[in-house]
Amino acid sequence: MSEENKPADKPEEKPVPAAKPVAPAAPAPEPAPPPSLGTYGKMLKEKGIECTPMALSTGVETIEIAPAQLPAALKFLRESPQAQLDFLVTVSGVDSPDTIDSVYHLWSYTKTDELVIKVRVPKANIPADKLPEVPSIASYWQTADWHERETYDLVGIRYIGHRYLRRILNPWDWEGHPLRRDYKQLVDALNDKNPESFR
Amino acid sequence: MTIQTKLPEFKTDEMVINLGPQHPATHGVLRLILTLDGEVVKHTEPVLGHLHRAQEWQGQNRTWFQYQALIDRVDYLSGMFTSWALSRAAEVIDGTEVPRRAEFLRVLCAELNRISSHLLWLGTYLIDLGALYGFPFYPFIEREKILTFFEEISGQRMMYNYIRIGGVQRDPKAEWFKKVEEFTKDFPKRVDEWEAIVTENPIFLNRTKGIGVLTKEVAQAYGVTGPTLRASGIDFDLRRFKPYSVYPELKFDVPVYNKDGDTWDRYMARIQEMRQSIEIIKQVLDMIPEGEIMSKKQNAGLRIKAGEGFAAVESPRGILGCYITSNGSDKPYRFRWRNPSFSNLSVLPPLLEERPISDIMAIFGSLDIILPDVDR
Repeated sequence: MSEENKPADKPEEKPVPAAKPVAPAAPAPEPAPPPSLGTYGKMLKEKGIECTPMALSTGVETIEIAPAQLPAALKFLRESPQAQLDFLVTVSGVDSPDTIDSVYHLWSYTKTDELVIKVRVPKANIPADKLPEVPSIASYWQTADWHERETYDLVGIRYIGHRYLRRILNPWDWEGHPLRRDYKQLVDALNDKNPESFR
Repeated sequence: MTIQTKLPEFKTDEMVINLGPQHPATHGVLRLILTLDGEVVKHTEPVLGHLHRAQEWQGQNRTWFQYQALIDRVDYLSGMFTSWALSRAAEVIDGTEVPRRAEFLRVLCAELNRISSHLLWLGTYLIDLGALYGFPFYPFIEREKILTFFEEISGQRMMYNYIRIGGVQRDPKAEWFKKVEEFTKDFPKRVDEWEAIVTENPIFLNRTKGIGVLTKEVAQAYGVTGPTLRASGIDFDLRRFKPYSVYPELKFDVPVYNKDGDTWDRYMARIQEMRQSIEIIKQVLDMIPEGEIMSKKQNAGLRIKAGEGFAAVESPRGILGCYITSNGSDKPYRFRWRNPSFSNLSVLPPLLEERPISDIMAIFGSLDIILPDVDR
């Protein structure tokens, strides 16, 4: 009985979906002009450090640097009198579709300029059971000490040369890196159907 | 007044002891592994994460609309600022114009929140130093008034969810502004009273003067921000340095103490900041225009354009920033919090080196760290 009643209700309910505009899942990347080097990109180039300009991060100059040249670049930007980017705001890790990025936001204590540096490790280059490797700057810049530990913990980037690269927010024996897109929880606490589970 | 900082010289075996995780003065759950030589701290290792709630993971697994309600928990003493940081970052990426009245309401609530956060710090810091009776409850009387204001406009005393992407949630009535105005008239007198009790108190001076000196160089190397940095003599306030919202139109001082950067200076910096916040609130009450308060529709399908960006606000503890990568869907692709307490806490080990045990809480408390903000 109940099966027969149900279909009768349905057709009247939803005439709406046809009118509803479907938002595009991923907007097509508009063909922007290829980004050119900004002030700091040019400064680094004069110094002999290769960098690739990237699309602006909401108006802020963004450059990509090869992992090997990162320490030299940061040292130059922090110490040289014309750059003076002496405030490392944050070190973040991003699990992008094709690469794993280590992102450095640089500010200055004396002027309002900003710079975003990205070090990108292509996923194709990372061996199956290894973590992507980026040189550490923690011994040179103390801010990066805990920030690199956090990025290692959550995103899984191995900072080569960090003298105490240990998990900082998760327990020390945690497995996996939670902010990777392919991370699976060992036990899904919300949908756990196993009656034997301790949760 | 001379202060005895020289300690008797004798050598004992080093001892490792735990401070915390459950310690009444750590304002949350923090464990410090201390290596001691007698009474003197030789090495400190903070162990974080007892309050880790995976805020960044939750950010990329929840819709924008759902996550807005969660982020007040990042720093529960200044929820307005976490909401504001998220909203600013999303608005910068999305290109949303915020109505002028909403901007003024944001500044008003944020400055009230800054005062309430500093008041809780003032009360608990005196408890940390051993002033258990009487005084700590005086700041809480004023804090209670501010929390009542927030309850009236947002329905919540601590988790406001008031500042939203595109504006603010509710428009307060005219009576509410009158109450705030009366509060601003009364408040400076209260600050005078507290200062009369605390600032020149000999016991307080003994516990704080010349202790925990944070030099400019160390503060900059560790990325310390907020009143803690300004007490070390660096004029770095985001409201003045990279003005956002309507701060360029407001007149206020940024108190900087170019003295020693010791514990007492950090206390003084916060007291002065409260007075400046009251000045800002008075101006906002005069200047606030009529009009709309929300420019983006608040519903479950809230979306932000594709792009990435970093935006920060000056919270009571320092620079609270938010680095967002959005791919245009209803969920953020990546959320990264830059929390002031996290960087400010990292400077604790060098500050505690060679200090006696009794100074640990005097120094730790003066950094004004809130552990949920560290652990997220």
